[in-house]
Amino acid sequence: MSQKTLGEFEEIVILIVAILNGDAYSVSIITEIDERLNRNVSLGAIQTVLKRLENKGLLKSEFGDATNERGGKRKRLYEVTAEGQKILDHTRVQRNSLWEAIPRLSFKLY
Amino acid sequence: MKRRENKPSRIAMTFFNWYCHPEFREEIEGDLMERFSTYSLKYGHNKANRLFIKDVLFMFRPSIVGNIYHLTNTDTMEITNQNKRLITILATAIALLLTPLIAMNFTNDVNWKILDFLVAGILLIGTGLTLEIILRKIKTLRYRILFGITLFVVLLLIWAELAVGIFGTPFAGS
Repeated sequence: MSQKTLGEFEEIVILIVAILNGDAYSVSIITEIDERLNRNVSLGAIQTVLKRLENKGLLKSEFGDATNERGGKRKRLYEVTAEGQKILDHTRVQRNSLWEAIPRLSFKLY
Repeated sequence: MKRRENKPSRIAMTFFNWYCHPEFREEIEGDLMERFSTYSLKYGHNKANRLFIKDVLFMFRPSIVGNIYHLTNTDTMEITNQNKRLITILATAIALLLTPLIAMNFTNDVNWKILDFLVAGILLIGTGLTLEIILRKIKTLRYRILFGITLFVVLLLIWAELAVGIFGTPFAGS
């Protein structure tokens, strides 16, 4: 796990998958990112990251239901794996330690 | 009309089905349809269709295409074969046109002018393209033969009329 690092967008996607808690698939992830972060993401970009995270073993997926508005095609629902949770925790700890390491003086100048 | 409004661009969807790796096709096609459906409610059919095409084009990337072997497995093979056949037909037409050009260098009996080459070129290439359309659109062997023979008979009659004038039309040659 120590060799695995998360890119900024990868981290966001894993966090959103965790937030959606069982209802995370590409379209709902895009909507959630747009609503929470006001960030427009293409379907291609999200699919690429989801596939990469799944290959890394940080997400797992299974087919969900098919609906009429999807033309009868099933969704692929994503979940965070145990390893994904570990790396999220690790990233959070690292970020917090970096924030805490900033001398107070650095921000007083601005 | 109402039916059309519920469907995204067929060309874009065909393109997507061609390049997308079969393993991802169902889920991503569903995503595309769901987004199209949302866009339609929000912006109407035309803009939804444009956004759908944009989605399809932006999706064309290595992670979605996967390995390229599947691209030659499905209808792509047929398209490649059709294109090979078209090139063969056009090459044959050009080769036939070159015959009098070469013959002119060796004998005075053949004396074509630029207009002759132009007309012959239009006739031969036109016939070749029509034959290709017939072969692409008609799948029954019997009708292929029937339409093919008709096409060649028409070509020969026009050629003969232009060359020696068998019907006496204003375009008849002498």
